[in-house]
Amino acid sequence: MKIVTFNQKEISQIGLEFDELIPDKIYQWEKKDFEKYEVPIGNSRFPLRDYFDVDVEGSAEFPADVKIIINGDLTRVKYIGSAMSAGEIVANSSVDLHCGSEMSGGEITVNGDAESYAGREMTGGLLTIKGNTREFCGASYIGDWRGMTGGTIMIHGSAGKQLGECLTGGEIYVRGDCDILAGIHMTKGYIQIDGDVTRWPGGQMQGGSIVINGKLSRLLEGFIDFEIVTNPEVSGKQLKGKYIKYTGDIARNGKGNLYLDADKNRNFL
Amino acid sequence: MVYEEPITDYDYKVENCTCAFCGCNCDDLVYLVKGGEVKGEIKDGVVVSGYVDGGHVIGVRHACRLGASKVMEDMDQRLLVPMIRDEKGNLVEVDWETALDKAAELIANSVRPVFYGWSETSIETMHYGLELGELVGAVLDNQATICHGPSLQGVQNAGYPVMTLGEVKNRADMIVYTGNNAMNSHPRHLGRYSVFPRGYFRKRGRFDRTIVTMDPRYTDTAKMSDIWVGFEQNGDYEFYNAMRAVLRGKKLEKDVISGIPKEDIEELVEAMKKAQFGALFFGLGLTHTLSKQRNIDIAINLVQDLNKFSKWNLIPMRGHFNVNGFNIFMAMEQGFPYGVDFARGYPRYMNGETNTIDLLTREEPDVFLVIAADPGAHFPSGANRHLANIPVIQIDIHWGPSTELADIVLPGSFIAVEAAGTSYRMDGVPIYMKKAISRPETTRDDEWIVNELLKRVQKIKGIKPTVAGK
Repeated sequence: MKIVTFNQKEISQIGLEFDELIPDKIYQWEKKDFEKYEVPIGNSRFPLRDYFDVDVEGSAEFPADVKIIINGDLTRVKYIGSAMSAGEIVANSSVDLHCGSEMSGGEITVNGDAESYAGREMTGGLLTIKGNTREFCGASYIGDWRGMTGGTIMIHGSAGKQLGECLTGGEIYVRGDCDILAGIHMTKGYIQIDGDVTRWPGGQMQGGSIVINGKLSRLLEGFIDFEIVTNPEVSGKQLKGKYIKYTGDIARNGKGNLYLDADKNRNFL
Repeated sequence: MVYEEPITDYDYKVENCTCAFCGCNCDDLVYLVKGGEVKGEIKDGVVVSGYVDGGHVIGVRHACRLGASKVMEDMDQRLLVPMIRDEKGNLVEVDWETALDKAAELIANSVRPVFYGWSETSIETMHYGLELGELVGAVLDNQATICHGPSLQGVQNAGYPVMTLGEVKNRADMIVYTGNNAMNSHPRHLGRYSVFPRGYFRKRGRFDRTIVTMDPRYTDTAKMSDIWVGFEQNGDYEFYNAMRAVLRGKKLEKDVISGIPKEDIEELVEAMKKAQFGALFFGLGLTHTLSKQRNIDIAINLVQDLNKFSKWNLIPMRGHFNVNGFNIFMAMEQGFPYGVDFARGYPRYMNGETNTIDLLTREEPDVFLVIAADPGAHFPSGANRHLANIPVIQIDIHWGPSTELADIVLPGSFIAVEAAGTSYRMDGVPIYMKKAISRPETTRDDEWIVNELLKRVQKIKGIKPTVAGK
């Protein structure tokens, strides 16, 4: 097992891009390799050692044997764990854009908030965000109809707009609240929101399931037909209690399922 | 309104000029020019070819008030000489060599340069700007970032059922304006292209067309429409969703959706299905409400659904005369329409990351080149605060709030009046805008200025100068 620890020395106002510092690429790197490495900042590259002290312990034969720990203020560090396929990254701070985007395996834990596009186009692995995240978590790249296709995103706080936009697989769990249009255009996969939701979950959804355990403020007209179900099994998960089960979005002839906690959403009955 | 006497004391007329105000690009304007000497051919007082050297535009025919007010000269506000801000904070006149060298030095040594604007200059100028941006790894962005950016994202998501304004004039029997007030923002749009003109299949003009305005506000456009749908603010997405459900033959459950009775929605959908040729024009009222690009996405999907019953298309009501041109040009050259970041040596495009407002509010840019735009007047205060702290290079024709933020001012020329160039109309039709008069002697053409910056930056970086696009 190799443990690589990044301790921040200096904060850059212009975002550092960490897409090259993933287990897949650095599993054989020694301390001297990190000292030589120049990190992309704006249109240039600057020595990583100006911004981080890097400690390396142990050795690794495969990317899966690597654990990266990043300490400091990472609100100007983008693409943490982007496109990683194995290993583990622990970010002990809030992180900037694209954390875990395009990741296909391994595990990322963010001990703070994550900016927009966390887990964008993710195909596998586990992304845990202990705080909140902003827009387009688990979403697609602009214009693509396939967002996250696999893996799991756990958000302990709240999520911003268009969570799981174009979700094509995988699972997203939000412990807190969620903003508008969660699961818009989703075709497969599973979204569970334990807190309240503002407006219009499942807009133009064609498949997959959204479960809302909190209160929903507004539902789209594309969700009309409903039934009351008790202790339903959704995507292999056993839910407890009464739910209002909608099928929609009929504005798009969708066959997705939207489950609302029946007790908290009596106004829709 | 005060009656104004017609202008008769002009010396020459220059016909078929193109308006450089909004995205309508009306190309039937007549400039009335006084003084100067014709460099070209003249017949019965009309300049047939060439331009009037030293002449002044004292009147414009056929233009709307907005277009005319821009084309008419306003020399008191005109930027005429290159300037650099001195240590005391005053802009002082310098020669062109000094100003260009200083600007090139700033651009060449920057780490996060942003080149913003471009919507009121020519495609030819953009060509040099793109080469400069690629060379230094800049972000190239235009006004779409604060206006129709969500439309471009919506188009990327859902496609673009396209038509030209000529088709609207000749064929459309149902016109829908949604989230815009064309009567005020694009006054000749209704008169020249959509509502009033008599077309080949619409011989009676206005009487052959049904006009619908969908807008929370009872605007001037709504007042002259046959139907006004005043849905609630931020209710666009829900309203369009309900329309799509009705189109699919579903019975609406709720009595009122987004403030509109369900019977009215059903009636409207029925009328839209029966149209022979429908045209939907959408503006910032749709792009900048709660659901942003998803409003456009669902509007496009609605139009696609309507095409199962009738013929429908849509066009965004673009604001600046060449804002569409930048998006078309960048999409053609680089694959992305705006907010294109060359920092890593190849184009990247990510909303929220590579857009000017996001970059400025994150305080990332260290040099800002603004060309043919006025961020000082239009950007949020957080963005302008950062502009006040970094070197700003301005290429423009008028003194404005951005000039107060600028450290280097490079006075350009007025495209479609003092310089020729290509622009793209809101429907994507390219129009060559001709030169009518000469520019003030101390100013330079935008194309020349950006090319000079490119050549100087190439020299600083030790690159053999090339000519963009040749």
